Amino acid sequence: MTPPGTGAATLQHEAIGRTDPDAVDATLAASGDAHAFERLYRGHLSRISSLTSRMLGDDDTDDVIQDVFVRAWQKLGTFRGESAFGTWLHRLAVNVILGRRETLGIRRRRHLDGDAALETVPSRRQTPEMSMDFETAIGRLPDGAREVFVLHDVEGYRHAEIARMLGLATGTSKSQLHRARMALRRHLER
Amino acid sequence: MTDAWTDRLSDYLDDELDPAERAALEAHLLHCVACGAALADFKRIVMRARALEDREPDRDPWPAIAARIGVDAGLGPTADPRPARPRRRWSFSMPQLAAAGIALMALSGGAAWLLHPVARTRLAVQGAPPTNLGIPAAVRAPGRGYDGAVADLERVLVEGRGRLDTATVRVLELNLAVIDSAIVQAARAVAADSANAYLNSHLAETMRRKLELLRQAAALVSSVS
Repeated sequence: MTPPGTGAATLQHEAIGRTDPDAVDATLAASGDAHAFERLYRGHLSRISSLTSRMLGDDDTDDVIQDVFVRAWQKLGTFRGESAFGTWLHRLAVNVILGRRETLGIRRRRHLDGDAALETVPSRRQTPEMSMDFETAIGRLPDGAREVFVLHDVEGYRHAEIARMLGLATGTSKSQLHRARMALRRHLER
Repeated sequence: MTDAWTDRLSDYLDDELDPAERAALEAHLLHCVACGAALADFKRIVMRARALEDREPDRDPWPAIAARIGVDAGLGPTADPRPARPRRRWSFSMPQLAAAGIALMALSGGAAWLLHPVARTRLAVQGAPPTNLGIPAAVRAPGRGYDGAVADLERVLVEGRGRLDTATVRVLELNLAVIDSAIVQAARAVAADSANAYLNSHLAETMRRKLELLRQAAALVSSVS
């Protein structure tokens, strides 16, 4: 299946002279080069996988990671190189994840009080497992607080961007972030 | 314990307050132990979040992806050694980093002057502080994490805060706030450019400065107990 879109030829022209291997591979992949697309996949898999599992939890990551890269293949023709390929892919991944979140919403509690879930996470501040415990604690945050925490504190998005992506008021994004930090603080204090 | 300012601490940490609110909160922080402790914890949480490692999934999804887009999964990519990509969106300009470093040196120098007469005696008993640049001793020491050492010292300082005079506490807290800010900024810079030796050295040195300041402050608390 060749990635749809009319931008491949234009993209190839724009890529001439670039030294960014991702941009070159994006150009090649947009014209149907599966090797180039697999290189992009291998280079960005860990970041997309981590983003997905932190945003949704480990249960749903396999399908969503597939969806992200299939969507990327389909949308390669729209990548114009105005930002780094990684930035473009990351934003696409966030959109896929948020779309999946809506599907999963029927069995998740969004923006509801779920801070008590952290009480079941062991706290081992001084051990090599500390980082994994922190990951687990993030995973136990209420969905709304976790999404904002991951996007802001882990991924580096600003509140205005997060508010646009999640369809929230900026103030809600700020309050969810504060709520997440307060919950994590209580966990880390134990 | 929380108060009216507690809910603004995240906004303060993220530089989302206007100048008047920021000044008011900083004034509050000079005498509120609970908010100071919460702010320190928030900074630690943010640093941990930014330091999280990305990891690949347990199973490689490529065969399923290849099937869905109609390409042969068995071809494998051609060889392509390329440098590691920046992981996240954190960015920090060198001028900002330099400014933070200058402010850090000036302020922590003042604190060292304030604390030194007492701290020197205590440190002579406890052993010389680390003098080498690079990774802090607490980080290198097996079985002992930097976070743990900092948390222990901060706890000593919080608990002994009431035994210090107001001016000393003010200088200490101001210095710690500046150092924490510099650490967060340096960590952002390293996250964006992990191979940069200068940035790594700057982060390590900034972390070492915090540890040293906390050690001196803890020694001062012990000396007046």
